[in-house]
Amino acid sequence: MDIQGRNTRSCGENIVEMVDMDEENFATSSSSAADTAFDAVIGCIEDIIMEEEFQQLQQSFLEKHYLEFDNSDENKLSYTPIFNEYVDLLEKHLEQQLMERISDFNMNNFIELLMQHKEEVPGDIFDMLLTFTDFMAFKEMLLEYRAEKEGRGLDLSEGLVVTSLIPAGSKHSGSTKSQ
Amino acid sequence: MGLLRILKKMKQKEREMRLLMLGLDNAGKTTILKKFNGEDVSTISPTLGFNIKTLEHKGFKLNIWDVGGQKSLRSYWRNYFESTDGLLWVVDSADRLRMEDCRKELSGLLLEERLAGATLLVFANKQDLPGALSKEAIQKALALDEIKSHHWCIIGCSAVTGENLLAGVDWLLDDISARIFTAD
Repeated sequence: MDIQGRNTRSCGENIVEMVDMDEENFATSSSSAADTAFDAVIGCIEDIIMEEEFQQLQQSFLEKHYLEFDNSDENKLSYTPIFNEYVDLLEKHLEQQLMERISDFNMNNFIELLMQHKEEVPGDIFDMLLTFTDFMAFKEMLLEYRAEKEGRGLDLSEGLVVTSLIPAGSKHSGSTKSQ
Repeated sequence: MGLLRILKKMKQKEREMRLLMLGLDNAGKTTILKKFNGEDVSTISPTLGFNIKTLEHKGFKLNIWDVGGQKSLRSYWRNYFESTDGLLWVVDSADRLRMEDCRKELSGLLLEERLAGATLLVFANKQDLPGALSKEAIQKALALDEIKSHHWCIIGCSAVTGENLLAGVDWLLDDISARIFTAD
């Protein structure tokens, strides 16, 4: 169950030396090679999502599905399978690329490490990865793409507004707005 | 489950909850959602798809999903079960004729594996209507006392006046957070 590997191909500059990562081991050597290996995988993920190939993957997905999406507040049921397909697509690409770049990469081990190290993952990467699984962000992206295709600007300033539950019983509070 | 979905789950652990609101058509699900959100509830048409609102309450971020309840749409409900912390089952308390239908749909949901960990809140809605059954009568009609698989509670409410909506969410929130966030 160890992520280990002598790297033959690594991600960019990140020459990784992944060593034994049993939990016990890991616990006793917190700033060890395990950390380095973990950081390397994170760096690799960063590289992958910044690459042209990844952008193209997204782009062609948008191109294929944007016409299904319109600007009404209510979502069509058809959005959901499209969204799931999108998450699958990106997820598969990421995992496949990681396997290619880091020999003996083991997703389950990495995920375990991730849970232990989650505070150390750079916030912007974490957020970016999370955006991929956020339905509302996904819908906005498609609407934006559609607006661009159709030559309209889309005002996203009111895209996602988090409102307080407190005025629920009262009449509507002027400040709340859904997208 | 792959990397992205796991990340999402990790994130959700941080004071964020997913609530799924279901029930027969015309139960008042979308009205409840809009009332929560402080929107106008005078012109609401039947939901053919789904609505999502994100609300902040007591330091929690609640993602509420409201899916259309017409018979032809109910087979799609399952696409929304994943990661649900709380199930809000909305009942039109004045719709006496469909109470049996309502009971059957709910009991079917409670067998769903992906909803096994969810807390159940039943909103006996439309208490403001003259013909409305009491929440006790609905508790009986839906055989809620037989539910052993889920934490549950029934609350009489009115989506139009807003009465008891918050009380319901408060209970749901307390139950879920006692389950999830103290378990860590």
